[in-house]
Amino acid sequence: MLSKVASFALVGLDGVPVVAETDINNGLPSYELVGLPDAAVKESRERVRSALKNSGRKFPLSKITVNLAPADVKKEGSAFDLAIAVGILKATEQLRADCGGYVFLGELALDGALRPVTGLLPILISAKAAGYKKFIIPAANGEEASYLSGVETYAAGSLTEVIDHLSGLAPLSPLPVKAYASGGRGEYKFDMAYVKGQATAKRALEVAVSGGHNILLVGPPGTGKTMLARCIPAIMPDMTFEEALEVTKIHSGAGVLGGAGIVDMRPFRSPHHTATTVSMCGGGTRTVKPGEISLAHHGVLFLDEMPEYHRSTLEALRQPLEDGVITVTRAGGAVTFPANFMLCASMNPCPCGNYGSADRVCTCTPAAIRKYRSRVSGPLLDRIDIQVEVDSVRYDDLASTATEERSAEVKKRVEAARAVQRGRFGDARTNADMGEKELKAFCALGAECENILRMSFESLRLSARARSRIIKVARTIADMEGSETIRPEHILEAVSYRKYDNMA
Amino acid sequence: MGYTKEEKAMIWLDSFSPEYPKKAAALARFRDPYKLAAEFSYTPWLKDVFGEKYAAMKESLEGGEYLRALLSSYEEKGIRCVTCFSDLYPEELRAAEDPPFILYCKGNVRLLRERRFAIVGSRVTRPQILAKTEEFAARLCERFVIVTGFADGGDSAAIAGALPSGRVISVLAYGLDHAYPASNAGLLRKVEEKGLAVSEYIPSRTPQKYLFPARNRIIAGLAEGVLVVSGGAKSGTRITAECAFNYGRDVFAFPYAIGDKTGEGCNRLIKEYAKLTDDLVDITSAFGINLSAKASEPLSAEEEKVLAFLQEGAAHVSEIARGTGIGEGALPALLVLLQMKKRIVSCGGNRWARC
Repeated sequence: MLSKVASFALVGLDGVPVVAETDINNGLPSYELVGLPDAAVKESRERVRSALKNSGRKFPLSKITVNLAPADVKKEGSAFDLAIAVGILKATEQLRADCGGYVFLGELALDGALRPVTGLLPILISAKAAGYKKFIIPAANGEEASYLSGVETYAAGSLTEVIDHLSGLAPLSPLPVKAYASGGRGEYKFDMAYVKGQATAKRALEVAVSGGHNILLVGPPGTGKTMLARCIPAIMPDMTFEEALEVTKIHSGAGVLGGAGIVDMRPFRSPHHTATTVSMCGGGTRTVKPGEISLAHHGVLFLDEMPEYHRSTLEALRQPLEDGVITVTRAGGAVTFPANFMLCASMNPCPCGNYGSADRVCTCTPAAIRKYRSRVSGPLLDRIDIQVEVDSVRYDDLASTATEERSAEVKKRVEAARAVQRGRFGDARTNADMGEKELKAFCALGAECENILRMSFESLRLSARARSRIIKVARTIADMEGSETIRPEHILEAVSYRKYDNMA
Repeated sequence: MGYTKEEKAMIWLDSFSPEYPKKAAALARFRDPYKLAAEFSYTPWLKDVFGEKYAAMKESLEGGEYLRALLSSYEEKGIRCVTCFSDLYPEELRAAEDPPFILYCKGNVRLLRERRFAIVGSRVTRPQILAKTEEFAARLCERFVIVTGFADGGDSAAIAGALPSGRVISVLAYGLDHAYPASNAGLLRKVEEKGLAVSEYIPSRTPQKYLFPARNRIIAGLAEGVLVVSGGAKSGTRITAECAFNYGRDVFAFPYAIGDKTGEGCNRLIKEYAKLTDDLVDITSAFGINLSAKASEPLSAEEEKVLAFLQEGAAHVSEIARGTGIGEGALPALLVLLQMKKRIVSCGGNRWARC
């Protein structure tokens, strides 16, 4: 007897329909699995055999051939277990019900229980788009699947439950569709209120988030650069459902979702400085997995101690910073992952870390400082609009009982500034995304502003490349104030965020 | 630009870069480099002086081809050799110990004829001192050509101040083919273009640590006075000041706070012989000169308030905000404006100081 059961494979962040064909023939007992399976797929044979036995069914003593079609797509992982098991049951007529229209996904435990699989959400989204309507998935994946409307998803705990559902003995009810609550259920662990003092840096963070600008925090060790960076997600506007779905898709594909359901908090990724280019941008030997920059999509990528990262890793960030996507090409094909993140980097002002410290002496020579700073290339720095100094925390600040502003307050202002930008561009773009054309249209400078800008370039020796960055940041500051035109004080504040340019 | 035969002989001799004492000993015996060259081949004892270089030197004298190629290579590079026989050679320099026989010059050699004042500083110099140095150089170059070295920090600040007027001489401790620190190569081009770069070494001589102290005697020798803006206890600026003092030149130094390592050398100089200098008048009065009044831009009431607050020393942004009552929101713009007007400098770590 021959049976056909539908399943899906994950390629990049897209699902590809796969049909598990099972044929039982007479002959010496054997089990043949074809269709470019990897080791995990091949091992399904042992899992399926035990799971069937321990669910009270029989594993046939015949010549079994399983083909995962199309045969030219590489199959990875354990998500085909359920489809293969159901296929065998049908081919041996242990299950007579009609499985047409169902897509089966899930890994089997030896006792017949269903285990969660990675990449379920991207598969469901692709399958829905391809017209599939009914899915049977592991119960542990239920959270992440329940935000998808317009499909019937059945979450089963074990193979027996699946069989009983299909045969009508104990039908499962489809998962109720959950409504996405903007604002999230979780609380961000870090709040601006915990950071004492640092008014300059906090203001700079607010400007950066308001306009979607990348930011560089420069300061001696132990001044709270990391703490400040971790506060960024909490002041970013809440994610829309579309954004959250996109992020969940990536996290699910990378297998880092951890049963969290939908990701409704802005991701914050801080890869260690030993990270390789592949771990940062995505890649892998067989299947291409998203890297840190994609996991930080719609969130924050934090590079602590930026000069310590490998040069090639940093340079690889340039193109995604510009385009918001990364295309990873491997022998198996090219995959495009979204990578629209806010870059926040931190570094020491000099090798000894004491440059600019009030009470400690910097022992570095100018040449040593220059060498240290040159580890971050100019083109990369060019993509960072705001550079701000974080100074040593003073005892008075730490001991003060003055209440600092909470992230929620800052967030309200950020959302107001973003609303102004939405009105201007008509989409989710921010001031940082402006090109030459938009600069001309929205950032006209008066004579006085032009004058001040010219003067600042001459007296502060800024690089000419900084000009459009200063104007963009000034536009954001004007938006935060609700000012239609850019005024001189906006330009001046924006100039004050070019600390790095005139520090050496 | 023609050279006399003595000068040509001098340039020939120097091109083999013999050590200074050997060169001086040989010249002392002949009194005239031309005579030295003329009798070179017949003077066996010169072999002992120049050692293994003797053979090559002797060979190069034949035919005159060597000298022609040498002179045209200097001309191509735009290098002018000012020898001790030249009218351009500064008289003050002859008073120096071991005066150089040749100054290899690139740029405006007429600057050697004007009054000169030296400003030197260490590589490790605080931002507010750098700003002050730049201001002093910019004001003093009205009456003096500023002589300095070419290091980062104090020297670079002096160059930056005087460069717009072109009245700056940078004395290098290596040949004109090189630039050290290499990252300042662009600055050296500008000095050569608008001012003057000077070295006592042939163009191909590479930078060596031990050449720098010897260079400092030229800075001191060229100048009527020396201002030391910064320097630790062991800084090379001390050597320059020492030389200047020995040559009978005025030495000026910025005072520093107790415990500030970047200025220990300055304080010691003041203790010994230097004049404490915190105002341009300290320098101008010593030379009996006047500088034109500085045109200062008008300041707003708030800006005056910030400057008054910073009178007491460098302060953090939040301290300025508390002290002046100006909100932290408005302060960054105000501080940048003051920085652009060159009234304050950023010391790093969000701290600011008057300059």
